[in-house]
Amino acid sequence: MIFFNYFFFYYYFFLQGLLSILRKLKSTPDQEVRILLLGLDNGGKTTLLKQLASEDISHITPTQGFNIKSVQSQGFKLNVWDIGGQRKIRPYWRNYFENTDVLIYVIDSADRKRFEETGQELAELLDEEKLSGVPVLIFANKQDLLTAAPASEIAEGLNLHTIRDRMWQIQSCSALTGEGIQEGMNWVCKSVNAKKK
Amino acid sequence: MKHFLRVVTQFFVFLYFKCLWRGLKFVVRKFTGRCELQRICYNNKHGARRTLKIESSLRYSKNELLQSALSVHPDKVEKTIDDIMALKHINPDTNPQLGISLQASLLQIVGYRQLVAEVEKLRREPYDCENAEHEQMLMKLWKELRPDTPLSSRISKQWCEIGFQGSDPKTDFRGMGLLGLHNLLYFAEHDKSTALQILHDSLQPKHNEANRPEWEQKNQDKAIGYSFAIVGINITDLAHSLLVSGALKTHLYNVAPEMPSLVYLQQTFCYLMQEFHQFWVEEDPSDIMEFNRVRSKFHRRILRQLKNPDATLCPHFSASDLHLVNL
Repeated sequence: MIFFNYFFFYYYFFLQGLLSILRKLKSTPDQEVRILLLGLDNGGKTTLLKQLASEDISHITPTQGFNIKSVQSQGFKLNVWDIGGQRKIRPYWRNYFENTDVLIYVIDSADRKRFEETGQELAELLDEEKLSGVPVLIFANKQDLLTAAPASEIAEGLNLHTIRDRMWQIQSCSALTGEGIQEGMNWVCKSVNAKKK
Repeated sequence: MKHFLRVVTQFFVFLYFKCLWRGLKFVVRKFTGRCELQRICYNNKHGARRTLKIESSLRYSKNELLQSALSVHPDKVEKTIDDIMALKHINPDTNPQLGISLQASLLQIVGYRQLVAEVEKLRREPYDCENAEHEQMLMKLWKELRPDTPLSSRISKQWCEIGFQGSDPKTDFRGMGLLGLHNLLYFAEHDKSTALQILHDSLQPKHNEANRPEWEQKNQDKAIGYSFAIVGINITDLAHSLLVSGALKTHLYNVAPEMPSLVYLQQTFCYLMQEFHQFWVEEDPSDIMEFNRVRSKFHRRILRQLKNPDATLCPHFSASDLHLVNL
């Protein structure tokens, strides 16, 4: 028994050593991109974040504070910050503006009553000095619901066509089914590349 | 590569348990003349120590009867115990206590599984505005927490006062479904003074400087200010994950004399709310943005606590209330 235990220990440490060497041999680190995920409460930001990280989405609770996850995509390391959308938390959004590469704004396309509110918040964000020139992707989320407004209608309602000072894109998606998310993220990576040039 | 090495390690663990452990068991059995279940029951007092050992003994048993005992229906527990006694050639007349001990432990094990299923069912049931029962519970929650202020309408900004995010609480239950509502209501009904105290504290900033602009206030003001209901739903998630991961076994096997029912989980929820509140105050976070950091630290602390086989997570009112449940 004692012999077995010793054997175990040696074997274990041998593995640890081997793994650390392998880790060092790994290629150079990816370029880091800071992504800010904002929007009203119940828009689906956390679900989107978990979908991006391929995690289980059935246990989601309202976000107090923020969540952060790192995702590898197309040679980038995307650090995605998901900040709670509750009215009480919105004043804290500005603490996270600095060094943002891309802003993702999530809209609940089925919650027509709050289109005005969400439009106002977005307009305020676009006016922020620290976010000037930052590309913005708008996810028209919850397209799986029958009552969801199409992306074109939302774009019109929010007067997106008047945005001249930055790259922007609206993408319809469903964070629940994952539809449309990849297309949106492709645009994110493309716009980061374009900005670097 | 990493995966492969892990598989190899697992293989060695398997070998260890398969050969050495069984050999050891055989030798001890010959020496003492008692089987493993008997040894566990004689050497351990009632509670998690005994039940956890019995559970793992049954799980790793080669015998099909013993393995299936873990998933037997509660009504058939008695018969299963008789079968086990017969299988192990134990005379019930000379070992009267053994049957009772085994039965109590097995009921706890089977009951825990049932509780997990019951809780999962509640969690998966979304809040439904059309369902009168759901609406009634929600209204009751308001009345318990705000006895003096009537709600102006079903959809109202007033819900923010008890810590929901917006004017309709429906959307806040999300992944926790009805379980969140059940827990909050239980807390408000059965541990009312604590619930009201926490709600009161959650609304009070430490230094009340309401006149300052919001932006400036935030830096100075170390508000306790979290949202009561939302935190309740978050702590429901914590309690749920403790239950599903099996970490809560220690607590439930220690406090529930037989099958643990939903009430036990709800009482655990009350305890977690109290403890979390205290923990939050002790941690003294600068603002709500630190919530997830504090929450995961709290989670780790509870897990550490539950590693001790004598641990219980009992709120202060448990003694009297648990007694009522037992009757």
